[in-house]
Formats: sequence, structure tokens, C-alpha cells
Amino acid sequence: MSLALEASGLHKRYRRWFFGGAAQNALCGVDLAIPRGTAFGLIGPNGAGKTTFIKCLLGIAWPDLGTVQLLGGSPQDPAVRARVGYLPERLHLPAAWKPLAFLGAVARLKGLDARPAELRALLQRVGLDEGSERRIGGFSKGMRQRLGLAAALIGSPELLVLDEPTDGVDPLGRVEVRRLLEAELERGATLFVNSHLLSEIERLCVRIGILSQGRLVREGPLEELCRAEASWEVRFAPGMPEAPLLAAGFRHAAEGAFLIDAKDAADLNAALERARLAGALLVDLRRASRDLEQVLTETLRNSA
Amino acid sequence: MKTLHVAADLLREATARKWFLGLGVAITALLLGLVGGLRLDVVDGALAATRLFGSVLQASVRPADVALRPVFIAASYLISYGGMAFGLLACSDFAPALLSPGRIEHLLSLPVRRWELLGGTFLGVLTLGLIGSLYGAGGLLVILGAKTGVWNWHPLLAAVLAVVGFGTVYSGMLLSAVLVRSAAVSAACGALLLFAGTLAGYRTAILASMREGPGRWAFAAWSGLMPSLSTLADAAANLAAARPVGVGQLGGVLAGCGLFSAAALALAVWHFEGKDF
Repeated sequence: MSLALEASGLHKRYRRWFFGGAAQNALCGVDLAIPRGTAFGLIGPNGAGKTTFIKCLLGIAWPDLGTVQLLGGSPQDPAVRARVGYLPERLHLPAAWKPLAFLGAVARLKGLDARPAELRALLQRVGLDEGSERRIGGFSKGMRQRLGLAAALIGSPELLVLDEPTDGVDPLGRVEVRRLLEAELERGATLFVNSHLLSEIERLCVRIGILSQGRLVREGPLEELCRAEASWEVRFAPGMPEAPLLAAGFRHAAEGAFLIDAKDAADLNAALERARLAGALLVDLRRASRDLEQVLTETLRNSA
Repeated sequence: MKTLHVAADLLREATARKWFLGLGVAITALLLGLVGGLRLDVVDGALAATRLFGSVLQASVRPADVALRPVFIAASYLISYGGMAFGLLACSDFAPALLSPGRIEHLLSLPVRRWELLGGTFLGVLTLGLIGSLYGAGGLLVILGAKTGVWNWHPLLAAVLAVVGFGTVYSGMLLSAVLVRSAAVSAACGALLLFAGTLAGYRTAILASMREGPGRWAFAAWSGLMPSLSTLADAAANLAAARPVGVGQLGGVLAGCGLFSAAALALAVWHFEGKDF
């Protein structure tokens, strides 16, 4: 399988040269491989090393140890970086410029023709067509974020690396951004998103990595991470009294469903048998799933 | 090629900045003030004398271009030192702004090499300096020409030499900005270099007046490393006054400035290449 991004054994330590402060380990041997066309979400608490990891991926910071391959090449190679779109966490934009001038400058540095019609279409795509004649200095945080996203999309990059893409964007705007990123995925682009908005990550990404204290503590498909291995969600036919079910080890879940913990199939069937003997009729059975917030909390607790 | 794009973007940024346009307006206002306020009379003819603000500059009657020499020399020094001081104040913010968080990360993610970013910034600032000094010097010469009838374009050479001097100072400012991202530190470094470069030009005379000892030795070593900016300004003044200039001496000073700039830029690029953002 062709990889969009491959990091192996990434170590990064920030040293303090003055005032004798202790050195800080930002990354401690991170290994990660992301196939092309995947939407990958990187989550973790503040100071986990997410932004440092992104900077090492793009050649903005130098890893102390380990290697990075981006779209099959080195991130230090300008030809490889030309195929990548990046939105930094706090994008600094020239306040006195207008959006078209800024996008034109980015396009030229990417080695592309800065055609105004194409740049206007890009502004329209990110919902900034009305602000195209205003100076960037007068933009709201959300508008700046949209402009940064437009800059990242210049040249239809094969890999999009987005650090907090919806930070400061209003709820409706987030929906627009999500649709736009979904369109990029359909085009075949690979998405690498770092965000604290877990609901956004959950809706957009199919693979998740959890970074904590510079280590990738969990990584895999979203569905797999959110699946509760030992817990099942059960629905019974209406009219069944609750007391016998609770006595049989079932507990309440959302919307009239029940949860049962079972370590294996025999355990599960024994519990269902108890419910059936109490007069309950099974109508639905599925593995219980957790949301990303629960997964993150549990993973961080375990890794600590 | 990318270096030129970075330089062009810097010029675009400069023209979009209100305070930078304000500085341009200030130069224009200064020139217009000279148009209205400068009382400079030259008696026309084969022989002439100059009166500046009512006082005869030298009592003897001489050819007009010779009589105007002190004016052109003064204009040349004004362009050299004023231009460098003006440039280091006006341009001290460019490199720190380029390296500001959120901007440098974005630039480094684009297909631009790190040295191209620094090279483009240096080239852009130098172009800005050249435009500004040629505008100021050109305006001054037009005013002097219109008022005296003597059209001497030599001070434009002084403007070009002032840009060489400013480029030397700015290479040090760029190095300081890469080491410490601060416009104030960058401007202070530029001012120190301008002062040191002025002293270095009078190195021989200063050394002759110093006693033998570690102080003299330290000054000799330190001033030997500094670009001779005052020698460059003196040469510019001589050119403006159509006085002879030693080609070897001027070439040596220009080579020294070039060497200093190249060393400062090489150090800046070396540090920038290995720096994390």
C-alpha cells in the first residue's frame, strides 16, 4: 500500500541554552504510517507534542533521531513540499494585504501561476468571496482561518496537514469546512488533522492517533478504537419490566437500551439466557461503542 | 527565482504598510521644504560664487561647479549617513516579521529553500534602500539643479555607494534577527555597525593617536574586521564633488564591504538552516 506519510522512531528534545532550565522531551520515538487517501486525526492533551510532530513531518523542526518520508520523499525536498498544503495552528497573515494578493504570493512560491480567477474561485470555495476586497487586518479569526485553509488548498495538494483547522470558525462554518475537506478526500487527497474538537475529528477521520507525553499511545481505525471490547448494547421487545433485567446484570443505556458486560461469547449468551428466562424478547444486539472523548480519557488514564 | 519572489513580496509588503508610505511622504516633504526654504544663489557666468543662506561660502570667485562643491559634498554625506540611518530604522522590522511565529512555519512548509528566504529578504531590503536613496538623492539634485542651474548627477553615485554601505549594515542586522527575533535588537545592531564602520574608516588616524598596549591591539584587531563605511562615504563625497578617487582604495573598501556582508549572510544562513521553528 502506498503511504502518504511515514515516520519512524521520531525523537525531539528541546534544550534550554540559558538560565539552566531542564531540557524537554517533545517526542519520544513516534512511529506512524498513513496510507494515501486516508483522513487521519491526531489528538491528545496540550503539550503532548502534536504540533512538534507536525513540524518534524514538514521539515520545520529537525528531529534529533528518526526518519520522515512524505509522499515517498524527504520533507526537505522542495518538490515534495510543493505537493503538500499546510495550515499552521496560528497562521500569521500580512495585515495590510488583501486576500488575493496573499494567495497570489503563496501560489508564486509554490511555483504556480497566480491566476486571479482561480484564486477568486478558491476564496469562494472557503466562503470568503465577500471579503476578497478587504484588507486582511480587518478579518475576524474565522475569516483568517478560512483564508489559511484557502492557502493550504492552492495547487490541489496530495497531502493536507491542518493544525486546528476549525479554530475560531463558527458552527455553520465548521460544517462548510468539513464538507470542503470531504470533497478533498473524494478527490484523493490525504488528510492529516490535529484538533482539540473531538467531534470534528470523529466526523471526518477514519484513523486516529492519540499522542501523550511525546508518545503515540494508541493508533488505529476510529471504529476499532471506539468499540468497547467487553460491552454489548441490547434491546428487548417493549413491555418487559426492568427489575428482572437489572437483577440479571443488565444496566440502563441511552434510549431504552441496556448494556451488559461479557468477556466472551459464553458469558454473553449466559446473560441473554437469564433475560430470556425472565420473559424478555431480544430484538437487537450490537457491540457497545464509546465516543472519542471517552476513548481519549481512558487511553490517557491508562498511559499515565 | 524563488529569491526574487520573496524579494518582490517584501516590496509589496512595504508598499502596503502605512508607516512605510509615511516615510516616503516624509522624504518628499523634506525635499519640498528645501524647495521653499533653501536660499542658494549662484551668480551665473564663466566664473561664479555661492551664497548659502545669505553668506558667501568662500570669498574667492570661482567656476560655478567648483563653487558648488561644498554643497554637493554636504549633500553626499547627507545621502550616505542619512540614508543608512534612515534605512536601518525603516527596515529593522522586515526580518523579524518574516521569522514571526505562524508566518515562518507557513513559509517553511512551502517549496522554498531556507537560504532563498533569507536571500530574498536581503535582496528586497537592498532594492528598497536603492529606490529610497535614488528618490531622495534624485530629488535633492533636481532642487539644487533648478536653484543653481548646475546639473551634477555625481551625487547619484553617492546614493549607490550609500546603498552598498547600507547593504553591509543590513547583513549584520539580518544575522542578528536570525539569532534574536527582535526589531529593536536588529536596529540596535545596525546602529552599532554604522558607528563601528564609521570609526573603522578613521582607523589609521585613531591608531596613530593611541599608545601601544592591549587597548590599541584590541582596537586594531576589532576595527580591522569592520567595514570602512566612512571611507565609503568619503569616496562618495569625492565623487559627488568631481574630485579624484583612488580606484584601488575604493575597490578595496567595496571588496571589504562585500566580504563582511558575505560572511554575515553565510553565518545567518548557517544558523537559519539548522534552526527549529
